[in-house]
Amino acid sequence: MAPIAVGDVLPDGTLSCFDAEDKLQQVSVHSLAAGKKVVIFGVPGAFTPTCSLKHVPGFIEKAGELKSNGVDEIICISVNDPFVMKAWAKTYPENKDVKFLADGSATYTHALGLELDLGEKGLGTRSRRFALLVEDLKVKAANVESGGEFTVSGADDILKAL
Amino acid sequence: MATNILRRAASSVMRETLLTGMLRRSYASVAVGSDIVSAAPGVSLQKARSWDEGVSSKFSTTSVKDIFKGKKVVIFGLPGAYTGVCSQQHVPSYTKNIEKFKAKGIDSVICVAVNDPFVMNAWAEKLQAKDVIEFYGDFDGSFHKSLELGKDLSAALLGPRSERWSAYVVDGKVKAFNVEGAPSDFKVSGAEVILEQI
Repeated sequence: MAPIAVGDVLPDGTLSCFDAEDKLQQVSVHSLAAGKKVVIFGVPGAFTPTCSLKHVPGFIEKAGELKSNGVDEIICISVNDPFVMKAWAKTYPENKDVKFLADGSATYTHALGLELDLGEKGLGTRSRRFALLVEDLKVKAANVESGGEFTVSGADDILKAL
Repeated sequence: MATNILRRAASSVMRETLLTGMLRRSYASVAVGSDIVSAAPGVSLQKARSWDEGVSSKFSTTSVKDIFKGKKVVIFGLPGAYTGVCSQQHVPSYTKNIEKFKAKGIDSVICVAVNDPFVMNAWAEKLQAKDVIEFYGDFDGSFHKSLELGKDLSAALLGPRSERWSAYVVDGKVKAFNVEGAPSDFKVSGAEVILEQI
């Protein structure tokens, strides 16, 4: 799959998470994004440093600003199971707006064309680091890192695209 | 006449038990007396570690041979870090009995799961178990696959994982081996059971 790009339609897919009642739920991406302005950012792995210390906090900090600029949903996805995503989300008690969704089998990451083989780091198939701005399922901005850096996929870069 | 009825009843019970056994789990290739190192040749595990530790250790792996050769090891496997029984019952059963294991001359008490080593590390810290027992990640499931202890838990949105099991291994030879009938059970794979078997 070619990596998702500006002008593409966001593919549909199923992600999972624990809801407010702590029940395991499967969520369709389109149900979250259709007719809305959403930011989706992907990280290689829960509990890894750039993801935990820079990428996620950036979006949590700027959530208010993103929302006042019309963003309806801010979604973090990673190739981890929903139990791990729930535990990782709990390490950000101040977070109110960012939704942590699990792409446990990497199916959705594959649909976005953003998979990355991190087997030699003990991680297996994961996602590239990226951030997308999507309006009514149309991709308006697609910032994908080429490697492990954190240069274009942060909250500030998405704010610039709004 | 009576013997025939009994025989038929016994064999249908056996068939049912066998079938249920097969439906619930496939038989492991490892058993008491088998050599865990030759069952999993060339397989490595990833010691639970932070990313920085990973970088400084060049993401090195530990071979099954190095884990078991010449040592007395108690090892237990579970379906997933941060899941219910694993967090609340299985790991605590071993951490609170660590002194008993040490008193029996056990060199390593190891927890292994099909998770990456960074998740295992964060989970071990959360359970305050990191300095008590050792944690290893079987991130691609190869260790469990070699021992035929892999289990598809896609229905629980976990994907390919492992059975819940425990083993007492001396210099690579399996001396005791316990597998739960279902991964959500916690009847035979806890510390109390294996302590009796050492």
